[in-house]
Amino acid sequence: MLSTLIWAPVAGAILIAFLPQFANSERARQAALAIAIFTLGWTVFLITQFDISDAALQLQETLPWVEPLGLTYRLGVDGLSLPLVAMNSLLVAVAIYSSDPKINRPRLYYALFLLLGAAVAGAFLAQNLLLFFLFYELELIPLYLLIAIWGGAKRGYAATKFLIYTATSGILILAAFFGLTLLSGMSTFDYAALQSQVLPLGTQVILLVTLLIGFGIKIPLVPLHTWLPDAHVEASTPTSVLLAGMLLKLGTYGLLRFGLGLFPDAWRVLAPWLAAIAVVNVLYGSFVAIAQTDMKKIVAYSSVGHMGFVILASAAATPLGILAAVGQMVSHGLISALLFLLVGVVYSKTGTRDVTVLRGLLNPERGLPLIGSLMIAGVMASGGIPGMVGFVAEFVAYRSSFSVFPVQTLLCVLGTGLTAVYFLNLVNRAFFGRLPESLENLPRVYWRDRIPSVVMTILIIFLGLQPGWLFRWSEVTATTLGALTTRPVAQLTPLAETAAVSFPEVDPIPTPVFENF
Amino acid sequence: MSQFLIQTSWWVPGYGLIGALLTLPWSTGLVRRTGPRPAAYFNLLMTVLALVHSGALLQAIWNQPPQRLQISWLQVLDLDLSITLEISVIGVGAAVVITALSLLAQFFALGYLEKDWALGRFYALMGFFEAAMSGIVLSDSLFLSYALLEMLTLSTYLLVGFWYAQPLVVTAARDAFLTKRVGDMLLLMGVIVVFTFAGSLNFSDLATWAESANLAPLTAALLGLALIAGPTGKCAQFPLNLWLDEAMEGPNPASILRNSVVVACGAFVLIKLQPVLAISPIALNALMALGAVTAVGASLVAIAQIDIKRALSHTTSAYLGLVFLAVGMQQTDVALLFLFTHAIAKALLFMSIGSIILTTNTQDLTEMGGLVSRMPATTSSFVVGAIASIGLLPLGSFWSMLEWGSSFWESPWLVAVLLLVNGLTAFNLTRVFGLAFWGQPQVKTRRTPEVPWTMAVPMVSLVIIALLVPVMLLQWHLLPNLASINLPLMLLLMVSSVTGCGLGGLIYLNSGWIKPVDLIVRPIRDTLAYDFWIEKVYRLSVVSGVVQGSKLTAWLDRYVVDGMVNLVGVVSLFTGESLKYTISGQSRNYLLTVFMGVILTLMALVWSFRFPYSIAQSLLGN
Repeated sequence: MLSTLIWAPVAGAILIAFLPQFANSERARQAALAIAIFTLGWTVFLITQFDISDAALQLQETLPWVEPLGLTYRLGVDGLSLPLVAMNSLLVAVAIYSSDPKINRPRLYYALFLLLGAAVAGAFLAQNLLLFFLFYELELIPLYLLIAIWGGAKRGYAATKFLIYTATSGILILAAFFGLTLLSGMSTFDYAALQSQVLPLGTQVILLVTLLIGFGIKIPLVPLHTWLPDAHVEASTPTSVLLAGMLLKLGTYGLLRFGLGLFPDAWRVLAPWLAAIAVVNVLYGSFVAIAQTDMKKIVAYSSVGHMGFVILASAAATPLGILAAVGQMVSHGLISALLFLLVGVVYSKTGTRDVTVLRGLLNPERGLPLIGSLMIAGVMASGGIPGMVGFVAEFVAYRSSFSVFPVQTLLCVLGTGLTAVYFLNLVNRAFFGRLPESLENLPRVYWRDRIPSVVMTILIIFLGLQPGWLFRWSEVTATTLGALTTRPVAQLTPLAETAAVSFPEVDPIPTPVFENF
Repeated sequence: MSQFLIQTSWWVPGYGLIGALLTLPWSTGLVRRTGPRPAAYFNLLMTVLALVHSGALLQAIWNQPPQRLQISWLQVLDLDLSITLEISVIGVGAAVVITALSLLAQFFALGYLEKDWALGRFYALMGFFEAAMSGIVLSDSLFLSYALLEMLTLSTYLLVGFWYAQPLVVTAARDAFLTKRVGDMLLLMGVIVVFTFAGSLNFSDLATWAESANLAPLTAALLGLALIAGPTGKCAQFPLNLWLDEAMEGPNPASILRNSVVVACGAFVLIKLQPVLAISPIALNALMALGAVTAVGASLVAIAQIDIKRALSHTTSAYLGLVFLAVGMQQTDVALLFLFTHAIAKALLFMSIGSIILTTNTQDLTEMGGLVSRMPATTSSFVVGAIASIGLLPLGSFWSMLEWGSSFWESPWLVAVLLLVNGLTAFNLTRVFGLAFWGQPQVKTRRTPEVPWTMAVPMVSLVIIALLVPVMLLQWHLLPNLASINLPLMLLLMVSSVTGCGLGGLIYLNSGWIKPVDLIVRPIRDTLAYDFWIEKVYRLSVVSGVVQGSKLTAWLDRYVVDGMVNLVGVVSLFTGESLKYTISGQSRNYLLTVFMGVILTLMALVWSFRFPYSIAQSLLGN
């Protein structure tokens, strides 16, 4: 069942890549879209099969693969991955739909896109650490090529930077995974088996820090983020949609699944640091975004900021916090995808993304009124205006983290305010005002340019009004994951005397600031 | 029947939203053949429905205790975000006022925006506006109120930015959003904090919690200040008052609502929060300080304005300052009464000046004059509105001011603030009357016919309502009985109003006095005209702080963080490029390298084994 999500796109990619009929770009697009929509439909079917009251992994599939290495083809889905898998299927379809119909080398392009979607889905589904790593690395190749071939002027630089950064990230993750299995003396990389590891806390911390840096590159955490703006600016719109919508989520998903899931005690030690990093991310990302003039860079840095909320909620690691992290991942995925789609339309019609050049695009006759209105909606959603999904996700995140990290949470709320500053600047500069003569005679906007954004906006508003649909999938999983950090430490480390490393003091809830707050 | 009405009370805000949704085909341009008028009619119809529904509801619950209606919205894990509505006479009564004023304003807009191509969009926003406001007054949950306040912020932004092609509008919309957002953000902090402490966001639960809350004084003060910040932004109180006068760039029908009921919504939330604020005396004092400063400051600023809308909008800030004072003194009933009379009077004033603006095509008071004989309905509504908004017998505000003053009779300085604000407002309204209606007609006011019926009907209806306000108060037993009336205060109020009007009349109704009036030295006049330079202060402090900070961060990001990354790249490339020259292609060089390498490795090995060994020996003394 789950394999279909991976192998249907792969099969489709092979077909499109090798059958000569698909040299016609329109036909290739239709075929890719059909496969993406099939995958999306399959995801919906899987959702109906999913039992939200069951905390365990569901719809599991296991095939022995390279057993001596401990590599098993084991897939499974739970409340943590299901929303992300669903969003991945959706965004792949949206990205393919919004691809330029006259794109060069369509067979390669669409094949790579499907491959990318498959790899990301695989990473979310994999329940074996090595398998996860394989998918995690596999996703690099199509993405690298998508940026390097169909990107903007400096695509070579951006793609190489992206590749080197993310490959480093992969190596660190692999190192941590190896360290974990070797040190705990396991012969398998199976997630479930490794969850029972009893490493000394010091070792756990070291492994977790390695993972943190590895996934931190992907999320991205400041100061490991500089590949992101470059990659976004050079990538084409559909690539950006997937990059912001899904690829960043791999980092936070990995942190929650492997960082928190495998090293809950070390997580407790590092949580205050993580919360501090979250604050840095939020404020730094927002501040840099304010100074940008390229719309794509603004949205890219806003991603840096908004991923900080995910980190904040994950650092709290209460059940509600984990739920909030999942919710915020989905919300950010939808909103940033919408924003990139809209920026893409603006760019393709006006030929620029510079907010100092653009003006008056809301003009009803010669401008882009609907795109502008959707942009206002997207921007407001990102800024946390109620009625849209961004608000409820952020609110739950703040609510969950405040009891653990009060000061950090309040600082992150400040970031919400800064979001309003840079996005309002964007809208006011590019869409308000009088349409200058240089921007008259813009090409017509067709409904096919608008439909993806309209769909995303409807989703954002729907989930904002009915947030139960956003959170219900993950409730049980969040409870189990959140319970990990609250269980007592002593019971966990019966081998304490064998540990050479002295225990750092474990203080789960640092509340020195709380009393006089 | 009454149970049905109560159960369906949540429809009241719903009508406005449905109206807003119904305009979508016109505002997105799907339907072009009919023009945007049908969108407007749909919205009017929806507002009529909302008015009828809330009116019937008020009838049904009259003299009944408040009832609560709980609608579960989001329940995950231990988080329960339910939407609670409180169906009380006050809340529903406020909803009636809001929908009624909204209906009148929308009717008025039919004429005011007759030729505007974006009528559909305007009505959508008005529907949105109305929905958010009637939601706020019915809400019994801080969460819902916060969410709706944010929606008000958004719709204010869009309404102010309605004519987005004008440069002034662009900055006005931005400032309106950002100033309100600052307040909302602090309020959000407060909401999160109080949610964590109290475990619930229902106002009734918060009130119960507040009675026994045991917070550190600093925590309580900060919490109180954060909660005050949101209403401060909404009610345009110092220091978040910047937006209201700029917001006057928006279309007038929206200004009618903004100056009468939108600001009142902010105060309404504040009144609901009053039990929580009462935990901290510091917060209450801050509230009163803000109110007093704004009341006096804004009254003075209003007098120095030459834009007719701004001249009136500053008095809105001033009156809301009085409301803040009342809430700070824990007199919420007085605050509510004050909000009611102010809303009616201010809406009427704004309708009247809306007619002037449409007819004369200007908002500049210095270009007006002599309208009194040309626009009788507009003139009479201005006069009624002006009398209704100052402490002059027998109309609305007199009674609410009397109530206000007698509750604070013990603290003379508060009464002094009231009298000062009243006198200054009386002066200002007379000034506006003198400049706009009196005197000789000027170029722009020479051909000024009375407004068409679409605007005149709502205006005259509101005149009647304003005249009936004392009767309503009598009906509701809100007027003081003759025995307990505070005669000295009554006298003082009358004296202050008459003095204000008299002075204003002496200067501005007197054709012998040369205009512009040059009574006060220029620096002071400018300070007042530019709103105590508050915009400049903001630009020099907060705005430049954020801009410079962001530039610095961006520079760091570009040259330090990313620079390091690029440096690593350059270094590795450079190393590779330089090392390639060691590849000579001659085997003797390679052999030499290999031998050198081997020798060095061996030496290193020996040294690394020997050295720690000798150290260990010397340490152990063996």
